[in-house]
Amino acid sequence: MSVPSGAEPVRRGPRRSHRATDEGIHYSRWFWPSFTIPASIWLAILFILPLYTVISIAFGTVDPIFRGPLPVYEPWWWSGEQFGRVLGDSVSFYRIVYIHTFEYVVIASALCLVLAYAVAYYVARYGGKRKTILLALLIAPFFISYLMRMLAWINLLDTEGYINKILTFLHLVPHPIDWLSGRPSTVIMGLVYGYIPYMILPLYAFLDRIDINLLEAGRDLGAGPARTFFRVTLPLSRPGILAALVIVSLPMFGDYYTNNLLSGSPKTTMLGNLIDDALGSTGQGNKAAAFVLILMVLVLIPMLYYMRSTARSLLTR
Amino acid sequence: MRHVRDLSRRQFLVRAGGTAAAVPTLSAILDACSKPGASVSGSEAVQIARPDNPVTLPMTGEPIATDTPIEQGATIQILNWSVYMWKYVINQFVQQYADNGIKFSGISTFNNMDEGVQKLQSGKIQADVFFPTIDVLGKLVAADLLQPLNHDLIPALQQDNWAVFQNPYYDQGWRYSVPYTIYTTGIGYRRDQISDEQIHGMDNPWSILWDPANKGMVGVYPSDRDAMAIVLMKNGITDLNTSNDADLEKVRTDLLAMIDAVNPRIAYDASYNKLQNDKFWVTTAWSGDVVAGWGYAAPYTEAAYKGYGYWFPADRKGPIDNDLIAIPKNAAHPRLAHEFINFWISFRHAMDNFSWNGYQPPQTQADVNALTHTQGLYNKQSSSWAAPADYVAPWMPDAVVRESDFGIGYREGPLPPDVDDRWHQIWSEFTAGVGS
Repeated sequence: MSVPSGAEPVRRGPRRSHRATDEGIHYSRWFWPSFTIPASIWLAILFILPLYTVISIAFGTVDPIFRGPLPVYEPWWWSGEQFGRVLGDSVSFYRIVYIHTFEYVVIASALCLVLAYAVAYYVARYGGKRKTILLALLIAPFFISYLMRMLAWINLLDTEGYINKILTFLHLVPHPIDWLSGRPSTVIMGLVYGYIPYMILPLYAFLDRIDINLLEAGRDLGAGPARTFFRVTLPLSRPGILAALVIVSLPMFGDYYTNNLLSGSPKTTMLGNLIDDALGSTGQGNKAAAFVLILMVLVLIPMLYYMRSTARSLLTR
Repeated sequence: MRHVRDLSRRQFLVRAGGTAAAVPTLSAILDACSKPGASVSGSEAVQIARPDNPVTLPMTGEPIATDTPIEQGATIQILNWSVYMWKYVINQFVQQYADNGIKFSGISTFNNMDEGVQKLQSGKIQADVFFPTIDVLGKLVAADLLQPLNHDLIPALQQDNWAVFQNPYYDQGWRYSVPYTIYTTGIGYRRDQISDEQIHGMDNPWSILWDPANKGMVGVYPSDRDAMAIVLMKNGITDLNTSNDADLEKVRTDLLAMIDAVNPRIAYDASYNKLQNDKFWVTTAWSGDVVAGWGYAAPYTEAAYKGYGYWFPADRKGPIDNDLIAIPKNAAHPRLAHEFINFWISFRHAMDNFSWNGYQPPQTQADVNALTHTQGLYNKQSSSWAAPADYVAPWMPDAVVRESDFGIGYREGPLPPDVDDRWHQIWSEFTAGVGS
């Protein structure tokens, strides 16, 4: 093989054998990989085995007396009957639930992004010495359980709650709005409120790491604040945006209690509610497991996009 | 298509136990990995009880001997629905048996019958007393999860309880169960939105749940059987266990029509919290929930209590049911469990519990005509912070259950698996908001 003229030959390092050198200290080749063992065991026990159990239930059977779900762990005994039925129903009468779920998650994630980006940007760029306090305030909602926060919203959104009192006091609405009567907007609001802290933190982490010199270079080259933002800050924070969107949208897809607490109407049923309902019904456990698997496949799509996008950005560095 | 073979009883129990745990242990998985064995169909062992088809459950063992001593120093283990037993009465039991060193550490609860059965089945909770519903009683016996009762140790059943429960259709000879509470399924409503005259004057009061005038303020229990029973009643169909295609299609059509007509909301606390707090104007309701609802009607004044009502057909032709008490096979203190049951269904204690949880016991000494103007123990105790209340509010006579109702009303019973699936499919379409 000839080396093209003018090109430097690829420099290959010494082939790693049993020992590696790092600043003069010798490590076994398994030293660094061994750090992943605890997490691997953790994942195997708490993710892979339960996932396999869910699959075994989805393709399993029901007990002959109580009709509870029975996992069948041997793939050669699996039956696709229940899964096929759920899949068929999903494209027929459950389709509306998939559409609702998709709509709510997309809108809520977009709202989360708009609101969270502004907050994270402010803290990262203008927080100054108050960054720590501001971050602590941002994390504060995490100290209260999601359920409690949703219960608080029930009171706030009540026809006699503070939201309606403020709206009517300011004459923004002629009479109190019944937010809790099964409105999609209320469910979306609940999702936004419940998940926005998960959006702010990763965005802040990315925005805070953006080199200020890059922004100043943009200004020096004649770009105004808006142009600098759209041409420098926003592209640089794209990985953070994607990560934050993945972090909030994945749990939103499986959320069921936001809808349960703030609506309860069949008109706002989400995929998580279908799973919850099937789990609570005699003989429907396999159906619930089938829904879980379908949901997993659906949320894999944004996850794969995120992974592809991340891999691309690493390659272009 | 390849079908999964039926499982042997042993494998069924092993696998069911594994499923009961949210994350199964490795040993459970390895156990369950054994090849499925000979085909044994457990469902064939379960007879479907109906009032016109009474069932005598098979004996799975002998009751404990009458001279079995009361366990000393035992902690009574109770597995029950939440908010269904007044702890004051449990403490009364503990005090009565103080010489035996009896202790009580809390109630293990479940949110639905499946969850209760799973807890019992997995053996994680070694309950002394369990509170099943009629539809699972036969299954519990078939799975050998209950023990037969010693009638000599429960004299209160014959002394204090209605004759209709001395030989119930679902458990002839009350081999495994005693009655706990009795209730009807009707309609709860806010009287400031729907007057008593209005609902009583309707040709078909069940249809009020479809009245667009109540749009956004209609509640439905998250219970497919009870919600669908009401749709059947609305259509004049009295077989609440129907497998008739035309009947089920009517149910499906009406449930989906309800979504468009009133945008109902599904809530387990529909009739004992949301109704009292003006979240709903009208809802499906168990009589016991509405009776106990005054405890949720802040500020607990008489005017607040008067804000809600309960409707059930005047001819008493509507859904009626009862819950049960039984002793699990693996109860650690079976003699104490017998004592507890006898205590719990005796007149005074049953009525004390009734005054708290709102669910009426079938007591012969209780004058049903007096329940609407008599205070129970909890009503008296709460008088320091709330306006006086009776066992049943005087304006809710429909919520009082009479012994004769059990000969008139309609019972929900267990369904064959294929029928059950069809029922659930319809319910699932409703909760998914199909067509909305």
